[in-house]
Amino acid sequence: MLNAGKAVKVSIYLSEGSTHHGAPTYSSILDFLFYRGVSGATVLKGVAGFGADHRMHTSSTVDISDRLPIKIEFIETRERVEELLGKLEDLAGTGMIETHETTVVKPARQSKAKNLPLPAHQKIEGRARMMRIYIGESDRWRDKPLYRALVEAMRANDVAGVTVYKGILGYGAHRRIHKDKPLHLSRDSSIMLSAVDTEEKLREFLPIVEQMVEEGLVVLSDVEIIKYAHRPIEVDLADSSNSGSLTK
Amino acid sequence: MREEFRARMLRIHFGESDKWKGKPLHEAIVVKCQELGIAGAIVYRGIEGYGTSTRIRHSSHWKFSPDAPIMLSIIDKEEQIARLLPHLEEMVDEGLIAMSDVEAIRFSRSEEVQPKA
Repeated sequence: MLNAGKAVKVSIYLSEGSTHHGAPTYSSILDFLFYRGVSGATVLKGVAGFGADHRMHTSSTVDISDRLPIKIEFIETRERVEELLGKLEDLAGTGMIETHETTVVKPARQSKAKNLPLPAHQKIEGRARMMRIYIGESDRWRDKPLYRALVEAMRANDVAGVTVYKGILGYGAHRRIHKDKPLHLSRDSSIMLSAVDTEEKLREFLPIVEQMVEEGLVVLSDVEIIKYAHRPIEVDLADSSNSGSLTK
Repeated sequence: MREEFRARMLRIHFGESDKWKGKPLHEAIVVKCQELGIAGAIVYRGIEGYGTSTRIRHSSHWKFSPDAPIMLSIIDKEEQIARLLPHLEEMVDEGLIAMSDVEAIRFSRSEEVQPKA
């Protein structure tokens, strides 16, 4: 496992058409790195380039398009790189190998590491608040239905959970009756969103509701949480890896 | 515009097939609420449930089921709810009425908008 700190980045430049024992060179090198336990490697394909023989290879020229440049990159500790270089020189054939001093800012982690601590999820127990938001089904926020925008906003603001209910009949501020008629295309039923979380969390979220809901009613009431259970979340840390770390 | 006030929430539970003078009970209650100038009422249809009569009620898209559980929720200030209660007691002869205190925040556009048809 590669840790943050000083490391060496190795770049190997090849031609797409070059082979090693009948297999494409890049896949032989990738296999070699994989089975030698290198923490990660990436194969990149160039769209154009030229090498030692000074012939231009571009993807537009059909006849030589199998000679496009290939670059393999991986980052490892200096000791590991020195261990691997001998065999790599042999594998790369006519290709070029370059090393570069680098610094790993944040190492990549396994996407499904079992011993990784789960991000702390706030547990709610006992006294809490319920927030109900009453709006119309046809209310919109920017380009989407308001109820959907509110659910997304709550999710983004870590509100513990929300459920959207649709009324079959109702009226609100304007005394207009919202009736859900089957086989009727333009629907404007009453929508109620119900969310449960701590007082602070919901108070924090209220200004966002105020900014999004032009017209509607928000109702807060005390509730008592009897049970709040959820499955452990599978964290995919690989998705958030960046800054020079290589993922395959 | 933002207006904050203390209010009461009523939740009335009964069945979709319940009637009041030949009309579905939930429609009759909504009409009564409008007559009394209650701020708002919403009728929800549950997908499954049972109530005072201990019948299991289902509602499914595939089966036509006329007796789904109905929950009617009404929010207004205490005085208004007090005016409505006697009517509800008369109309709902099988069902449950629950009441709770809530804090309400009403958002409305500052200019008066004509209601859509």
